[in-house]
Amino acid sequence: MPSFRLLLLALVVCSGLVGLAPGVGPAAAAEGDQPRVVRVGTEGVYPPFSYRDPESNELTGFDVDVVRAVAEEAGWELRFVEAPFDSLFPALDSGRLDVVANQVTITPEREARYLFSTPYTYSRGVVVTAADDDEITSLEDLRGRTTAQTASSNWAKVAREAGARIQYVQDFGPGVELLVQGRVDAIVNDNIAVLDYLATSGNDEVKIAGPAGEEVLEQALAFTRADAALREEADAAIAALTEDGTLGQISEDYFGADVTVEGGTTDVDVRASDSRTRWEVLQDTAWPMFVGLLRGTLPLTVASFAIGLALGLGAALARLSAIRLLDWTARFYISVIRGTPLLVQLFIVFYGLPQIGVDLDPYPAAILALSLNVGGYAAEIMRAAILSVPRGQYEAATVIGMDYGQSMRRVVLPQAARTAVPPLSNSLLSLIKDTSLASLVLVPELFREAQVTAAATFEYLPLYALAALYFWIVCYLVSLAQGPLERRLSRYVA
Amino acid sequence: MSELIEVRGLEKSFGEQHVLRGIDLTATAGTATAVLGPSGSGKTTLLRSLNVLETPDAGSVRISDAQLDFGAPPAGKAAYRRAVKALRARSGMVFQSHNLFPHRTVLQNLIEGPVQVQRRDREEAVADARTLLAQVGLAGREDAYPAQLSGGQQQRVGIARALALRPEVLLLDEPTSALDPELVGEVLEVVRDLAEQGWTLVIVTHEVRFARDVADQVLFLDGGRVVERGGAEVLTDPREERTRRFLSRVLEAG
Repeated sequence: MPSFRLLLLALVVCSGLVGLAPGVGPAAAAEGDQPRVVRVGTEGVYPPFSYRDPESNELTGFDVDVVRAVAEEAGWELRFVEAPFDSLFPALDSGRLDVVANQVTITPEREARYLFSTPYTYSRGVVVTAADDDEITSLEDLRGRTTAQTASSNWAKVAREAGARIQYVQDFGPGVELLVQGRVDAIVNDNIAVLDYLATSGNDEVKIAGPAGEEVLEQALAFTRADAALREEADAAIAALTEDGTLGQISEDYFGADVTVEGGTTDVDVRASDSRTRWEVLQDTAWPMFVGLLRGTLPLTVASFAIGLALGLGAALARLSAIRLLDWTARFYISVIRGTPLLVQLFIVFYGLPQIGVDLDPYPAAILALSLNVGGYAAEIMRAAILSVPRGQYEAATVIGMDYGQSMRRVVLPQAARTAVPPLSNSLLSLIKDTSLASLVLVPELFREAQVTAAATFEYLPLYALAALYFWIVCYLVSLAQGPLERRLSRYVA
Repeated sequence: MSELIEVRGLEKSFGEQHVLRGIDLTATAGTATAVLGPSGSGKTTLLRSLNVLETPDAGSVRISDAQLDFGAPPAGKAAYRRAVKALRARSGMVFQSHNLFPHRTVLQNLIEGPVQVQRRDREEAVADARTLLAQVGLAGREDAYPAQLSGGQQQRVGIARALALRPEVLLLDEPTSALDPELVGEVLEVVRDLAEQGWTLVIVTHEVRFARDVADQVLFLDGGRVVERGGAEVLTDPREERTRRFLSRVLEAG
C-alpha cells in the first residue's frame, strides 16, 4: 500500500535530517591523551556576558571568553549548549552539562547543591525603573512593588527579600518590555548587563534608578557536587589566568575595567554589544532562522508526525481490540496525553527521565515527546475514522477470505483515511507550531534563533513577527497539500 | 450422488431471542435452493451460518469436504480458525446491499480475493474477471468505481465478485431487496443464468415468482424452524397453513 511506503520513506528521510543536526552528545571519557570534552551551559541571550555576535552569529561574550580561556589553560575541549537560564541548572542536575558559565552568583543555597570555582566577576546589582519614575531609587523602595525577574536567578531572590512581588520572565529583555509597558515597577539586575542593554538598545524609556544594596556579588563557574576534579582544574586555570593578566584583559576588552577583582565594578564603560539597525538585524537573522527551520522545525515535524501516526494507529487498533488489556492500555495512554500539557510532557522526557537513567539527547527527546503527543490525539481521530467504515465492508472482506491484517490494510484503512485526513491535517499544523516548544529543551529550531537574536538586540516585535511569518508560510504550504490529498482519497466517491 | 451441502440441527440465539431452532438442510451439487419466510424467521441467519458470519450455538455445517460442528468445535483457537477458513473458502456471498469496496474499481473488486487471498496469478485473475463481467453484462465497466454504477449494476458486480473466488456454492442474501423495482429484473436474470449453468445456489429471497421458476428446492421458515420443504410446488400448492398465508400476503403485495 503506497501510503505505508510513503510513511517509511518519511521516516528514513527525517532520520537522515536528524543525523545532520548538531546534537548534544554525552561527554566523552577523558582518558589518555584525549582532551576531556566539557559541556558548557550558557544562555547565549545575555549580553554582554553570553550572546551571539551580530556579525558572525558566533557565540561570544565575557563569560564565554572566560570559559574558553579556562578551557585552553586546563586542556578541555569545550562544547557549548545554549539554553534559557531556568533550564541550565536542571540540565546540570540531569548530567547534560558539566559546567554553567552564565554569571552565576554564589549563594548559600546554590553552594549547598553545586560546586563553585573561584569567582571571576565581582558585581553589584542595580534597580531599573521607567525613566519617568521618581519614586523608586533604592532596593528599600521595592517593598510592595512588582519586579520582573528570571525565576532561578539570584536577582529574583534579592528582589523577593526586599519585599517585592515577582513577575517571572525568561530573560532580561522581556522584563524591560514589561517595565516599559508599565506592567511591572522595576527590575533588579546586574549593573553591567543593564549598562549593556542601555547602550545597545538606545532605549531611553528606562533608567538605572539606584543601587540594589551595597553588597558586592561574586559570580563563578558552577559544577555538580560530584565533579570536584573538574572544579579543581578550573580553579588552577583561573589562578594562572589571573596571574598572567589574561582575565583582566578580557574584562578590559568588554567593560573598560577589571571586574575580575573586587572593587572593579563601579567604573565600567560598557560599549554596545550590538549596533545594527532594526532592518540589519532582520536581514542578518532571517537566514539563521531559516536554517533553524530546516534543521530543527522541519525534521522534528516530519519525524514526530510519522512516528505519531504509527503510534496513533496502534493505539486506535488497541482501543478497538477485543483484548481488554490492550484496550485499557490505549485508553490510559490517550487519557494521559490529552490530559497533560505538551510542555510538561516535554520537560518530563528531557529533564525528568534522566533521573531514572533514561538520558536522551535533545533531538530524540523532543521527537519522543512530540510523537507521543501526536499519537494520543491521532489515536482518537483514527478510531473514529475506522468506526465510520460500514460493518458490511468487514463482512465482505471476511467472506472473500481476508484475515484481520488484510481487511484492515486493504479495505478498512484506505476508507478510514478519507475521513481522517481533515482532522489529521489539523494535528499536523498544530505539531508544526508546537515544535517551537523544543527550544526549551535545547533544540536549536526556528523560534530559538529568533529568541536568541531578540535577547541580544531587543527587537522583539520584528523578530517574533518574522518567526510567525515563517511558521505561517510553512503551515500555508502544508495546508495547500491537503486539498489534493483529500481529492485523491475521495476520487471514488461519485 | 452425495449432497454438496449438509446442515444438521443448527441452533442460534441472540440473547433471549431463539432465532434458529434445529434447522436441517441438504442440497445437491448444481441445484438452486430458495429459502423463504417472513422477516424474523431466521432465513438470513441460516444463510450467514453457512459461511460463519454468524456462529451457531450448536449443529454442524458441511460444504463439500469442509465440515464444522459448532456443538463440538475443534480444540484450540488455531484449529477452529482453520476450520472456519476452510468452510468459508467453499462459498461466495452476495449481500443485500452489495458491500462492494467503494475505493476500488469494478475490476479491482473482482480480483481482490483471487489475488490477495487465493494468491492466484494476477493476469489469470484479470482474464477471469473480464469473462465474469461479460457474463453479468458489464463488459467495459472494469475501470468504473462502484459509486458510478446503478444499483442493479452494483449488485451484478457483487455477484461477479463472489463468483471470481470460484466457490463451490454461491450464497445470495436477498439480492434484490435493496433495489428499486425497475432494477430487480436485471439481477434476477443473472441469477437465473447461473442456475441454468449449474451453479449450486442458496438464495434467501422474497421474490416468490422468481423462486418458483428457478428453485429446485424450497424451504419455508418460520420462527426458526423449517415449516415446509419440497420442490417448487411448495410455492404453488403449499401443504401448510402458515406457508399459504405468507404466500398470499406476499403475492398480493407484489
